[in-house]
Amino acid sequence: MSAPAHHWVFRSKSEGIALRLPVRALVALALLTLVLLLTCCVSLATGTYGVALNEVIDTLRGLSISRAIDNVVWEFRFPRTLAAALVGAMMALSGAALQNTTRNGLADPSLVGVSQGAALAVVTLTVVFPAVSGALRPWAAFAGAILVALAIQGLSHTRQGGSAIRFILMGIGLSTFISSITSALMTYGDIDRAMAALSWLAGSINAASWSDVWTLGIWCAVLLPALLAISRSSSATRMGEATAVSLGVRTRLIRNLQLGIAVALAAIATSVVGPLGFVGLIAPHAARRIAPAGIGLNLLITAMVGAVLVSLADLVGRAAFAPIQIPAGLLTALIGVPLFIVLMVRSRSTASH
Amino acid sequence: MSGSATTQRMLRLEGIGLSVGYGGTNVLDNVDLAIPTGEITILIGPNGCGKSTLLKTMARILTPSKGSVLLDGKDIHRLDTKSVAAKLGLLPQGPIAPEGLTVRELVAQGRFPHQTLLRQWTRADEDAVNGAMDIAGITDFADRSVDTLSGGQRQRCWVAMVLAQETDLILLDEPTTFLDLKVQVDLMDLLAGLAHQRGRTLVIVLHELSLAAAYADYLVMMKEGHIVASGTPDDIFTAERLKQVFGLDAKVLRDPDSGRMVCVPSGTRMRSATPVTAR
Amino acid sequence: MSTIAAPNAGTHPVRAWSGVPVLLGVLVLAFLLHIAVGAKQLSLGTVIEALFSFDQTVFDHVIVRNLRLPRAVLAVIVGASLSLAGALMQGVTRNPLADPALLGLTSGAAFAVVIATSVLGLTSMIFIPWIAMLGALGAALVVYIIARLVPGGATPLSLTLSGAAISAFLSAVISVIHLLDQDTFENLRVWLTGGLAGRDITLLLYVGPPIALALIGGVLLAPRVTVLAMGDEVAQGLGVKTGALKVQLLAVVVVLTACSVALAGPLGFIGLVIPHVVRLYVGSDYRWIVPYAALAGAVYLLGVDTIARIAIPPREISTGIITAMIGAPLFVQLVRRRTR
Repeated sequence: MSAPAHHWVFRSKSEGIALRLPVRALVALALLTLVLLLTCCVSLATGTYGVALNEVIDTLRGLSISRAIDNVVWEFRFPRTLAAALVGAMMALSGAALQNTTRNGLADPSLVGVSQGAALAVVTLTVVFPAVSGALRPWAAFAGAILVALAIQGLSHTRQGGSAIRFILMGIGLSTFISSITSALMTYGDIDRAMAALSWLAGSINAASWSDVWTLGIWCAVLLPALLAISRSSSATRMGEATAVSLGVRTRLIRNLQLGIAVALAAIATSVVGPLGFVGLIAPHAARRIAPAGIGLNLLITAMVGAVLVSLADLVGRAAFAPIQIPAGLLTALIGVPLFIVLMVRSRSTASH
Repeated sequence: MSGSATTQRMLRLEGIGLSVGYGGTNVLDNVDLAIPTGEITILIGPNGCGKSTLLKTMARILTPSKGSVLLDGKDIHRLDTKSVAAKLGLLPQGPIAPEGLTVRELVAQGRFPHQTLLRQWTRADEDAVNGAMDIAGITDFADRSVDTLSGGQRQRCWVAMVLAQETDLILLDEPTTFLDLKVQVDLMDLLAGLAHQRGRTLVIVLHELSLAAAYADYLVMMKEGHIVASGTPDDIFTAERLKQVFGLDAKVLRDPDSGRMVCVPSGTRMRSATPVTAR
Repeated sequence: MSTIAAPNAGTHPVRAWSGVPVLLGVLVLAFLLHIAVGAKQLSLGTVIEALFSFDQTVFDHVIVRNLRLPRAVLAVIVGASLSLAGALMQGVTRNPLADPALLGLTSGAAFAVVIATSVLGLTSMIFIPWIAMLGALGAALVVYIIARLVPGGATPLSLTLSGAAISAFLSAVISVIHLLDQDTFENLRVWLTGGLAGRDITLLLYVGPPIALALIGGVLLAPRVTVLAMGDEVAQGLGVKTGALKVQLLAVVVVLTACSVALAGPLGFIGLVIPHVVRLYVGSDYRWIVPYAALAGAVYLLGVDTIARIAIPPREISTGIITAMIGAPLFVQLVRRRTR
């Protein structure tokens, strides 16, 4: 940035609201929203049952063209599209929160075992206790993810307060362990239930229904504002424990809250569509490169980037090898890994330690 | 001689009977420290004497196992941390500057105790940040990234951040480490101005003895978790004290022009003709 | 180079040799037990009889010779190979967290095999080990290059992350291929889980010689690894040709890993954990760590495989799963103690 960035200072009458926002970030946010809407429209028009773009828009506006189109758009594709966007946003936010907590730019829910913990919980539920209703899935996923997060936190904590490398290495070790248990369940459980779990495990948004969308939407509506509310404190903790305390931040509370929210976001998203890797890793970095901003605005941009990423991955997965559908989870890994490598190579060495 | 010369002004920060330790060993042992208001207090002592620990305890970063720290008469560890932050600011050793932050954004972090989620840039905030940058002499870099600055410039940014916090009490832990001598002196001049012209109370942990002797209004010497001596430099910056606290054989000279005290270590190498210069 | 007094050799020279017969004895016992235990329990006596005075008419002897002996031999070879490879890797990379699987070698080998069978349609058994080897080498190079490019160079962290990324990527590609081409993939699915069940023992004819060479090579090169572990400059100062040595060691590791993958599929964590356990008993001299690791690895895999067969009778748990279940917690413990 050679020239100083332009900022827009907004002050309401009695200074009830007083904010200084970088213009570039605001523009980026608007553009990303546009891209997201576009992707959603294209996604609604894509599929084995051909629907033209204008027909999609008419149907959305309430003009019913045909029962069949209504059905396809409203019952199948719309919930799926919304779910993709929501899941993308939630995983992206989870990654951002994790990276802030561990102060390491390479943290990702799937890299630190949180996704696998949620996955194991859901697979256990599906394979071992099939009689239990599917509505418990989000709660089971949350419990699984929380347990893993606590385990890693506890294991990697030293008197010095926990190191980021240990956290990541612990996460890799623990996630391998959990994956092996999941494999065991899948191999030796009932074959039908195992198959159902298998398709879910690939990270597919295939079967997302309206109830799934409600689940995602409600949790997102609760957790995103919570994340925003603690964003300033989180920003201050980046400068080190002593500075943060001196500024008046309740560091332990903020760290636990942030970790809890990160885990919750990843767990809920995973419980609905299965593990989605690398979105949480890539989106925060992409957001920062698109437009640097204060931590609150950055969160919104990150969420948008995540939503766009997963929507695109879902779209490509459905359209590229039609009629075979590639689960979005695989595509996020295929796109995410090269991006991850680029990030690692280009990161400044402060990222580790 | 602990603070009796300054009892005219009300005591704002005071540590009473402080004992701080990790797992059985005591770093500080029953320490009393009353900070004179509106003056510069400097803590010196050999490595491991507990001066940083004492500073952090006074700033409520660390919690003592025994004793208490009083801020305006109330136990600091029981007060709401944000309200303490409005009165007391600490610049710790080795602060971390997050990637990509500009100078203005870093200094603005100091406004945290005065902000809420939606009120982050009131006119008061803006004035405080601009004022702090002005005092620290970094207004020219306001929009540059902190990573691109030199060590001295970066340190001044951190000082500006603490200034933007607009607290009456400012605590600094070894703010001059790794800085060139000129930058050290500039920084100490800046801090001296804060105390004497703007009435703030400063508590600084320093490593450099002569710097401490030159700038302190109230000097505190520590050794092995105790305060060995405290008072004005004139009173306690003597060769006997230096020997007692640091094990250092040195002569203490007074510069005839400025009246400043300087310590000159004796060491084994002696030069005959050239005068020995202060370290 | 073996005249250089390596660290710790002086402290327990007697103990260093004394362990070998003990371990060999344990190995023999584990071997016999592995053969004896199973769906039909056989007595040790029967096993010994079957091995040394084979009587074709006795059904139990047939079971021993045709069914169980091959599997036990496989366990010994794969266990020894992977552990030895892991020990060498840890020495060369000076990285206590190195493991052929963690660094992408096994997924590279698996990936190459999958590509060859599904995309190129190769089904002949002869080529599989060589393809696996190519895949392992390719993945290793990629992981190393990426780690080198990261600021700070090839540190334990960057190598691990790079390995995790490449493994994830290759797994995803394998899954995509699975989705696109389900028929040819069915055959490979068993192989991909990693285990000793139902393996084709004739593969050993092709893979045996390279493995034997590599094992011997590894043991012979071991003393120089200790010198290398003291740092490139120190080693060069002592006259070791570090560049050539590293290439030789890498070749040994790749051959051992690739052949093991060809024989038993991707089996992780053995190469990571066994060398560490061995180090607790023999110190830091690779002259001892390497051969002991090979023996201990063989014992370990025999043990794990035995457990896999008897844990939930009459079914079998995949050995790959059990190694991860035991290995991963040990890995976590290692990280706890080693990184601060």
